[in-house]
Amino acid sequence: MAKTILAVDDSASIRQMVTFTLKGAGYEVIEAVDGQDALDKANIHKVNLVLTDINMPRIDGLKLLELLRKLTHYKTVPILMLTTESSDEIKAKGRAAGATGWLVKPFDPKRLLEVIGKVIG
Amino acid sequence: MAMIIDEQVATNLYFDKNFNSQAVKLLPGEYYVTDKDILLVTVLGSCVAACIRDCYSGIGGMNHFMLPDGGGDVSNPLNASARYGTYAMEILINQLLKLGARRGNLEAKVFGGGNVLDGLTIANIGQRNADFVLKFLQTEKIRVVAQDLIDIFPRKVYFFPKNNKVLVKKLRNLHGTTISQREKDYRQRLDKVNSGGEVELFS
Repeated sequence: MAKTILAVDDSASIRQMVTFTLKGAGYEVIEAVDGQDALDKANIHKVNLVLTDINMPRIDGLKLLELLRKLTHYKTVPILMLTTESSDEIKAKGRAAGATGWLVKPFDPKRLLEVIGKVIG
Repeated sequence: MAMIIDEQVATNLYFDKNFNSQAVKLLPGEYYVTDKDILLVTVLGSCVAACIRDCYSGIGGMNHFMLPDGGGDVSNPLNASARYGTYAMEILINQLLKLGARRGNLEAKVFGGGNVLDGLTIANIGQRNADFVLKFLQTEKIRVVAQDLIDIFPRKVYFFPKNNKVLVKKLRNLHGTTISQREKDYRQRLDKVNSGGEVELFS
């Protein structure tokens, strides 16, 4: 059965690119437009991986990470950050909050799939 | 480690005597966002500039970019050109949101994409840049309230984000050597580097 990925980004263009990449590799994809939407969908669908942006309205990616890690199902599910943020300071915050990995945009579809393959392959 | 194409904050600040205003001049590959009453200026050949502002708060910004040669169809979302263009636009929008703009309040004015570069391998490069920026804004549901795109002349764009005014001067008598050279240099930088950002796994 195909693994399911929750792809979270407030940019429709990025969601389109990410979904195109992941579906092309055989993953099921659920899209969310911000952290709140992601949290709602993560509670309904027990996904195998979360791929999230950081700068988003309502609940941002770092807060989403913190909130997901408090949920039983998401304590061990890989959560990857896909963001324009690349400073060591914000990466350290993400790592401390339980991020599995960090991908700086612009994303490379091949490398995104390699990383996803490593963490849920 | 892959090299990153990094959009840079414009650093060329000056006082513009004509407009009696603090101003920032943007070069290719740069962006600038502000909540102050200042002037953003750029000169465009085949590059495009998006002037985006929150129509309520007046927080606004401008970028100046072109698409690298992705060697394929820009409408393919995985094309390297489209990914870079999306990145250039996202950087600008993210910085506006960080400054307090709201995504739902954003509106855009877009300029450039002139067919003014000689000797490049891609035909209609300006058209390609213009098509991309319009398609991106449509996908993001950001309203385009003004545009002056394509044509054959370089343009000088003056954007006053606080009062939502834009002045565009078509440089009909300029041969455009400096503009062309700047854009060629920028394009060469884009074509040389890898379009993927860095990746780090924590565990």
